[in-house]
Amino acid sequence: MPAEPQPPTPPRRCCRWVCWFAGIVIAVLVVWAAARFTSDKPVTYAGNEDHFKYGSTGGERSSGIPYSIWMALPELFPQYLPGKGLQSLGFLYEPGKDLPIGVSKRRVQGIDRVFLNCAVCHVGSVRDTPASAPRFIVGMPSNTVDLQGFERFLSAVALDKDFTGDRIAPVIKRMGTDDWLNRELIRYVGVDLMRDQLVSLRQMFSFMDREPVFGPGRFDTFNPPKVLLNFRMDMLPPEEWVGVCNFPSIWHQRLREGMELHWDGNNISVDERNRSAAFGTGALPPTLDRASVRRTANWLLDAAPPPYPYPIDAALASKGKPVYAEYCARCHGASGTDFAGDLVGKVTPIDLIKTDRHRLDSYSFALCVNQGELYAAYPAERFQHFRKTDGYANQPLDGIWLRSPYLHNGSVPNLWELLEPASKRTATFFRGYDVYDQKNVGFVANVSHENEKAFFPLDTTLPGNGNYGHEGKAFGTELSEDSKQALIEYLKTF
Amino acid sequence: MNFSRCMRWLIALVAILCVVGVFGWYKFFREVPQPPFANEGERFKYGSIGAENTRGIPYWIWVVLPRVFPDFVPGPGGYKAFGVVWEPGQEIPVGFSKKTIGFPRIANNCAICHVGTWRASESDLPHVVVGAPAHTSNLQSMIRFLTNCAADPRFNADTLLAQIERETKLSVVDRLIYRFALIPLTRSALQKQATQMAWMNRPGWPDWGKGRDDPMNLTKYFMTSQPVDNTTGQADFPSVWNLKIRNGDGLFLNWSCDTPAVISVLIDSALGLGAAPDPTVPLDTLNWKFKRRAWFVNRMQELDAYLSDLAPPAYPFPIDAALAAKGKVIYAGETNGPAGKCVSCHDPGQAHTNRLIPIADIGTDRNRMDTWNQAAADQANEKVKEIGIIRPNMVKQEGYQSPPLDGLWMRAPYLHNGSVPTLSDLLAPVKDRPTAFHRGYDVYDPAKVGFITTGDAAARDGWMEDTSVRGNGNQGHTYGTELSDADKIALLEYLKTL
Repeated sequence: MPAEPQPPTPPRRCCRWVCWFAGIVIAVLVVWAAARFTSDKPVTYAGNEDHFKYGSTGGERSSGIPYSIWMALPELFPQYLPGKGLQSLGFLYEPGKDLPIGVSKRRVQGIDRVFLNCAVCHVGSVRDTPASAPRFIVGMPSNTVDLQGFERFLSAVALDKDFTGDRIAPVIKRMGTDDWLNRELIRYVGVDLMRDQLVSLRQMFSFMDREPVFGPGRFDTFNPPKVLLNFRMDMLPPEEWVGVCNFPSIWHQRLREGMELHWDGNNISVDERNRSAAFGTGALPPTLDRASVRRTANWLLDAAPPPYPYPIDAALASKGKPVYAEYCARCHGASGTDFAGDLVGKVTPIDLIKTDRHRLDSYSFALCVNQGELYAAYPAERFQHFRKTDGYANQPLDGIWLRSPYLHNGSVPNLWELLEPASKRTATFFRGYDVYDQKNVGFVANVSHENEKAFFPLDTTLPGNGNYGHEGKAFGTELSEDSKQALIEYLKTF
Repeated sequence: MNFSRCMRWLIALVAILCVVGVFGWYKFFREVPQPPFANEGERFKYGSIGAENTRGIPYWIWVVLPRVFPDFVPGPGGYKAFGVVWEPGQEIPVGFSKKTIGFPRIANNCAICHVGTWRASESDLPHVVVGAPAHTSNLQSMIRFLTNCAADPRFNADTLLAQIERETKLSVVDRLIYRFALIPLTRSALQKQATQMAWMNRPGWPDWGKGRDDPMNLTKYFMTSQPVDNTTGQADFPSVWNLKIRNGDGLFLNWSCDTPAVISVLIDSALGLGAAPDPTVPLDTLNWKFKRRAWFVNRMQELDAYLSDLAPPAYPFPIDAALAAKGKVIYAGETNGPAGKCVSCHDPGQAHTNRLIPIADIGTDRNRMDTWNQAAADQANEKVKEIGIIRPNMVKQEGYQSPPLDGLWMRAPYLHNGSVPTLSDLLAPVKDRPTAFHRGYDVYDPAKVGFITTGDAAARDGWMEDTSVRGNGNQGHTYGTELSDADKIALLEYLKTL
């Protein structure tokens, strides 16, 4: 039998194998790329307190800064920082952490991104003496973070000629914070996108240039939402320009539900207030991480301040109790945990409280009604409770010892001075120093420098910084010195 | 074999068409009733009058326009900057209705012109009065805003969608619908509207300003085929409460007694806002278009019933009862002779109330009256009849209507063109009336009875009416201008009680 001719299959079979192989490789690549570039995964934390300090609100999705760039910036642009690293802007770093408190991380489209969360404004630092180690206390107003300084740092970086992919990529390589692919993406795309965002951020926040410098522990709350709604900030009436105010404490939210919240009491819904604040962490209605924010909100319902850690003269405090009951309780609650009182959480008209009215006026009726559009795509979450008020809301005093400096604009350094008439309050004092002043109850306010770190001089004569008001007989500024001492001792128990 | 294959294809085709049809109906025509309103007042403020079909702007486009085009908005404040009434906590301003017809749409209703506010002081919050003239709203500037947006190259899918997606996560399908249908269609509809409104933008033409429109020219140019002429008739939005005392044989509504019945005014005004009962379908055809017309007529009857009994607002400031009692005598005219006899023209049921005062007698600015003519009235009547709606016919008259004075305090500024800011100015001789003042500021002046029209705040919030501009003349209605000062003060006090 003649040998059968070899069928011409081997090359075809080979071809088929190649095709199969190529197909599988492509499929794997597609799956890998899809998994990588559609990723949306926050770094999560087991403990509620860590979740509060480092958990995501979803803001990284729309406003996130690539983690590698965040890490590289202080090293590349030290000239725009007051000292070494973001610590010099008052950011608080816990041992062993590469990100400060108040900064969360999420992997979006294959790139780790970071942005601010609630804790950046609501965690503070306390030292007993200059030699003591700092204690970071959650829920208290941040007394050290200079958010405006941070915004100005980013703005300066955006305009710097060295803010380029080619300058940043080698630093990322050295830090080893991203793989080759991400490094090249950041080099050729990421930096340019970020520059665009930062330049527009700089333009959006230019309204701040009409205000006194905020310094640590303060920001303008209700001009940013006007920017969010693209109001013509250049046409803003001058009385709305200055909205600077202190960060508040955020403990005991369950007891605050239904109270008139925010300094001017413009909203009675804790949930709306939370979502409104979440805009500040970059979270927009479609990008808000609802489960994560809910977890934080639930935890804050019963979060409580730590007790005053220094000695309290019990006898003196008990003398202060009736003074408090007579003068303060009706507006500020029966105690630090019992917020009963017919005016607690209610707005006191500006004509009575007579504190600096800039923050009140910065919140306009026009903004109030426009906020009704926010979250409209999610009807159960739409803002329905914003109102324009005519004064400032009476706050419960839980953890009052940690809420210095006092008044809505942080213009009075300690409780002792708050019980003095405005004429005797310090006209210029320093903010940002975290050593505690047990005598006057508040943070030490007369220290301008510690080593190379300069603290912020708050000039109370500037618009928005006024330290007047909350004074007169009804406000306790005419009490005897002994009564004041006793009252302050009692307030330490809150 | 062939036949069956053919059948199979045919069935597939029909199935596909059905799916496409149902999908198209769902995404573009499915009507979802508005959620129920707490009461008729809320429904008046936010309820649909059926204008979403033809004039409905896709909701998300409406939301983002002031954010994409802040440079066309007259101040910081989104739609609030146009002076519209906007209640805290509400998603949309008063006079706007949101309704889903395939997709959520925004249109206007009667309240855009007929809900007003007052405040006792600059730090007071607006008190909203249903049925009051919307004296703060600048409708013309809002129309011009939409015109400017549509003409601008930024009105494109990329720019609008980028802003929309800051508020909502659209599905892929909805994003495509917005990109390829709603955004371009809305733009071209607004451009078309701009050409229809070109007459009001003629160089040097009088502006409507706050609290006014040009009602009969709007009717003329939108409902009839009358050519654009040289008339201008800017006029105040009237109050619309207590309509029952305005309805009756021989009584007329609209500033020049152009309409003989409340229902006619309601229907014609709603048609003007774009309410769209379909004109091509005869009355006896029972289909969805007919249902819409039946719904429309029914809604107009409901509004008629509601507004007929809507009480005018009581004067919110103190009244000196003794002084008012003195004023009532003057109002009745017993001591002043015919010249001071307010009652005969302004009390319901009196000989001249709700009737025409000839132009030669009243002597007020005639421009508004001259905007309307018999040919326009005939055409408008014909048009409404074609739509299949029966209502008393419009007419043409030479003069102005003498209205009842219920809720008078809230109807400032006065005369048909709002050319006199307060009642106290109206009792002054023409030469002493202000010739330029800021209207549209809602803080009240109880001394002069009207809104404050001078000062920085009024200048900031108001629009300056110049009475030397054509159509803004403040002459005429000189009745009572020769009373003594004491009598005028008493009369003013009485007028507060109306």
